[in-house]
Amino acid sequence: MMEEEEGAEEQQRFSYRQRLKAAVHYTVGCLCEEVALDKDMQFSKQTIAAISEVTFRQCENFATDLEMFARHGKRSTINTEDVKLLARRSHSLLKYITEKNEDIAQLNLERKAKKKKKWEDENRNSVESAEAGVEESEN
Amino acid sequence: MADNFSPDSEPTTRTLLRRVLDTADPRTPRRARSTLSGCWSLHSAQRDLLETSSSRRLRSQTKMTAKRRSHTARSVDRLARVQASGHLEEQTPRTLLKNIILTAPESSVVMPEAVVKLVPSPQVVQPSRRESSRGSLELQLPELEPPTTLAPGLLAPGRRKQRLRLSEFQQGMDWGHLSQEPRENADASSLTSSLNLTFAMPVQPQSVKRPGLARRPPTRRVVDVGTFLQDLRDTSFPMAPPGESHRTPVATVPTDIVLEDTQPFSQPLADHSPSVHHSLPCPSHSGTKEVEGAASRRTRSSGPGLQNNHSGPGKPAQLLARKVEEVDALAMGFPNTSSISGEDGVEPLQNGVGEEAEESMEESMSIREVEKAAEEQESARAEEPEGHTEVTEAVGSLGAIEAKEPEGSSEDEDTSASPQLAPSTPELLQARRLQFPEPAPPPSTAVLPSELPKRLSARIPPRPRIPGSRPRQDPYKAGLNHYAKLFSFYAKMPMEKKAVEMVENLDKYFQHLCEDLEVFAAHAGRKTVRPEDLELLLRRQGLVTDRVSLHVLVERHLPLEYRQLLIPCAFSGNSVFPTQ
Repeated sequence: MMEEEEGAEEQQRFSYRQRLKAAVHYTVGCLCEEVALDKDMQFSKQTIAAISEVTFRQCENFATDLEMFARHGKRSTINTEDVKLLARRSHSLLKYITEKNEDIAQLNLERKAKKKKKWEDENRNSVESAEAGVEESEN
Repeated sequence: MADNFSPDSEPTTRTLLRRVLDTADPRTPRRARSTLSGCWSLHSAQRDLLETSSSRRLRSQTKMTAKRRSHTARSVDRLARVQASGHLEEQTPRTLLKNIILTAPESSVVMPEAVVKLVPSPQVVQPSRRESSRGSLELQLPELEPPTTLAPGLLAPGRRKQRLRLSEFQQGMDWGHLSQEPRENADASSLTSSLNLTFAMPVQPQSVKRPGLARRPPTRRVVDVGTFLQDLRDTSFPMAPPGESHRTPVATVPTDIVLEDTQPFSQPLADHSPSVHHSLPCPSHSGTKEVEGAASRRTRSSGPGLQNNHSGPGKPAQLLARKVEEVDALAMGFPNTSSISGEDGVEPLQNGVGEEAEESMEESMSIREVEKAAEEQESARAEEPEGHTEVTEAVGSLGAIEAKEPEGSSEDEDTSASPQLAPSTPELLQARRLQFPEPAPPPSTAVLPSELPKRLSARIPPRPRIPGSRPRQDPYKAGLNHYAKLFSFYAKMPMEKKAVEMVENLDKYFQHLCEDLEVFAAHAGRKTVRPEDLELLLRRQGLVTDRVSLHVLVERHLPLEYRQLLIPCAFSGNSVFPTQ
């Protein structure tokens, strides 16, 4: 029974992997089409398949590395720092990621500010309503 | 009775006994003895044989009863007969001889093999036989395959026959005679007596007379203590790793001695080293060279003067002690080297990288004790007039295996200032050797693992270095020249120059490894590269997996001395070395 469960689980995992691979393949295909239009150069099917396969495997490596980096920094969550460490090899990629990171950080800050405002407003509202309620009750 | 089994051509026991039986009259023991002795009249030993044969027979009987179980079916039958006969009849020489003849055919059938076995190694059997104690002969039994399974009674004639053959062999060896009647008879009689000390006596003198078979005492050459010490001095100096002096003194002595022995490639490395070093003025480098020399791995420094310096001090222990001093001295002395060698390079470096240098120097100071990279040496030697990147490149090129933490720190060190390099380099060398199992990625796996153990184990005696010769190649790759040669050596087939150049192009890879180490350390919020960073690097390379840990790699590829220094081991008295 255990073996059956494991077998079923294996099947599930395998089908999951296949779905992921298919998704990657589709995305790679789309990107390649864009590039083909841009450069006026065709991509063969094998090329796209190869690229998608390589991408998939590299993603696996990335995941392992990210986990290793996070553990190395004595954290249990993968951080942007880990991602930056991962991308350090390619300068342009690193720059891009750093910029994006900054943008996201800014966004977060803004969101936090908005949230804070909202929260304060809500508090005020609630206080007002409470006061109103009190007044009403008093009345 | 089993008669006429043995071939008459051989003067075997059987034939002799046959003769005796034929000639002797069946009489009372005493009379029989006298007649028998008269008939025999071959050797005094034979008389002894008759006298002791009864005792031997008794012994054999007891032995037979004792060993009856272990004998083959044939022997059992014979034994039964012998025993029965023994019990029934009086123990006359005639009956004894009869029993012998009864048992002899069994052994004779087996004999050819037994004798063949024995003849090639008579010396082995004979000395023990000469002792001729019953016990020793009994001990002999297991050695002889067929005889061992036979009853002692059976064995005795077999052994006798073997003895006879051996004695014949001896005769043949020493006297050129294959057989001599009196001697044969004597042997036969001795054989028939088979287990008597008295009969052993005649055999022994023969052996003494035969120098060919005598065991000579091993000739020992008188050891010339003076030359021995001189050799020690010559070989130990390059060996003594300076960095190890920083570790516990306990470790230094054994590593010292043992590392001297583990020099499988002292010659090739020695050849490499002179070619690799960058020439720099002698006096300035002499100081650094002293420290390096002990490491003797990367003889980047040019000056031959270091070798001379080494010859001064005495023993390895002293050398180690001196290393520590030298390290301190080098710190002072290095500014000279830097000024001489890389003035132009060092200054801009220092100017440009000032702040970084300070930080890195701090790092390097902290790390110095732990990991050092020979690359730093090389980079120092290499005169890096260019910028930081080049320094790191040189460092990268140096660190084939050691590409880890030390390299990260060494990079910083290089950028900081050469003054720091000299003292650190030997230590770095040591630490590097000690710290690094294998960093090799798949392509370089062939190179690095082979290089690593060799580098670690090989301590070349320092060779005089040619001063003044500038590096002909790119200084950052010059360090890899050493590795390229090792690589070509381990390839076990000739390598094209292009292939060797490609190996040298690995400097970028090593440089990346060094940078990685640095980044890993920074990632963990540290300024010091630690073994954890190294492990992370190896894990990324795929050398350390969930199944294979760093310690496993250390055990696999490093010699025992390094393993002792790296893997904490509990010793007696609640002491753990190295302490964590």
